[in-house]
Amino acid sequence: MSNFFRSLPKHVKTAFISIFRHLAMSLSAISAVTVTLLLFSTFLMIAGNISLFTKNIEDDLRIHVVLQPDVVKQADLDNVQKDIEGIQGVKKVTFSDADHELELMIKEHGEDFKMYRGKENPLSNAFFVSVKDADTIAAISKQIEQLDHVKQTMYGGTSVPKMVSMVDSIRFGGMIFVILLTLLALFLISNSIKMTIYARNAEIAIMRNVGATNWYIKVPFMLEGILIGLLGAILPCIFTYFGYPYLYEMLGGQIVTSLFGLQPIYPFTLQICAALLGFGMLVGLIGSFLSTTKYLHWKR
Amino acid sequence: MILLKNVSKSYRNGVHALRDINLEVEDGEFVYIIGPTGCGKSTLIKILDGEELPDDGEVFVNGINVGKLRHAKVPLYRRNIGVIFQDFRLLPKMTVFENIAFALEVLAMEKTAIRRRVREVLELVDLQDKAKAFPEQLSGGQQQRATIGRAIANHPKVLIADEPTGNLDPEKSIEIIQLLDKINQVEKTTIVMVTHDEKLVNAYKKRTIALEEGFIVADIKKGGYIQHD
Repeated sequence: MSNFFRSLPKHVKTAFISIFRHLAMSLSAISAVTVTLLLFSTFLMIAGNISLFTKNIEDDLRIHVVLQPDVVKQADLDNVQKDIEGIQGVKKVTFSDADHELELMIKEHGEDFKMYRGKENPLSNAFFVSVKDADTIAAISKQIEQLDHVKQTMYGGTSVPKMVSMVDSIRFGGMIFVILLTLLALFLISNSIKMTIYARNAEIAIMRNVGATNWYIKVPFMLEGILIGLLGAILPCIFTYFGYPYLYEMLGGQIVTSLFGLQPIYPFTLQICAALLGFGMLVGLIGSFLSTTKYLHWKR
Repeated sequence: MILLKNVSKSYRNGVHALRDINLEVEDGEFVYIIGPTGCGKSTLIKILDGEELPDDGEVFVNGINVGKLRHAKVPLYRRNIGVIFQDFRLLPKMTVFENIAFALEVLAMEKTAIRRRVREVLELVDLQDKAKAFPEQLSGGQQQRATIGRAIANHPKVLIADEPTGNLDPEKSIEIIQLLDKINQVEKTTIVMVTHDEKLVNAYKKRTIALEEGFIVADIKKGGYIQHD
């Protein structure tokens, strides 16, 4: 093991030199990684936004339960919460006190409402209720309205459940697509790296001939795979880092309505870049590990 | 010391490469192994190198049972023997210096010690001025000398040479055999050399072992090529 660490700087150097000395091969592997990751980046951007859309729509799927203004005692609040939680199909009940309600109103309707902060607050306490199944929202809402202390209930409207089921299927389809794409990327990248190593299986045999142990041979190849993955991820990262903000500005941060608001530029682009770099390096490592291991056993 | 006891080897295609070989080579000996193409010479080398496993019998080199080596241990065994291949087997993308250094780097030797030894070896095989050249830039004789340099860099007790002069013209062949002779004399390295170069065997007489169809047909201590009918 100590030998391994002593040899590590040497291995890193070997990996770098090897990339340059097999330049044509390295470039072809790097460009294969680049193309794959460009595709991958595009779909990550789309998938990230679709998941935000569905989250926005799902937030509209909450029932806003406004209580009578005179309900302030903790015992009464607890009772109402218990009653709501007792209704079948209710997933979660969150308390929102009058001050919080006002902040939400300020956020939604503008700064003018700031004047009501403090004792002047005309709003009453409320609950947010989310339901398990979008189709039951109307019935549950009606049921809650019948409870004591409840003034009124509100939810996003009748079209919302339909949209949710639509978006759900979009999300499901997108997820399958991303999984397939990931597999494709995995295959393409590890395959192109495999090709570069395949061309060198004679070298691997020679290294064993002169006394290099399996790990001594493997490590530089693995480092080389990581490096190729890293270099291949650079262009897609630049594409993401500058392309997404451009798109974001062009669309004004949303598609048609605020319901389809886009992911904010940060940290979204940085997360995608990190994913691309990580994915490229990981797949490079795996691809080179597998093919080196294979060719190590090509000869004794 | 090299010791083969009742070694047999056949391939899947039915070829019996070696049949019941018994052979003993003392430390410091220089031995030719001769015979026509397909007589089992290369198989013998591969078995000594650990590249092939014998079907039957036992192979000991420096006390190590080569036939029982696990795949991962084969390279460790090879650190103590030097092999010179007919097709050179230099790493194509490494310079001559790096090729020789590689055999020492795998031992995790110190950098300065490696450099010193590589320079020594380069001088011994007379390739000082080619240290930075890549194998493809060298002639056959130079590549063979680089291979020899790599094989002896770690002071191996045993040197195995598979037709080291097979790809060279007679003049270069003499150069190589003189170099091997020098290594045998100076370093007391045991040398097993496979060849079918009749002139060489007759000019530089050593113990000569003749193989034919997988059998040892002659073992001549005073040397000289056997004439076939």
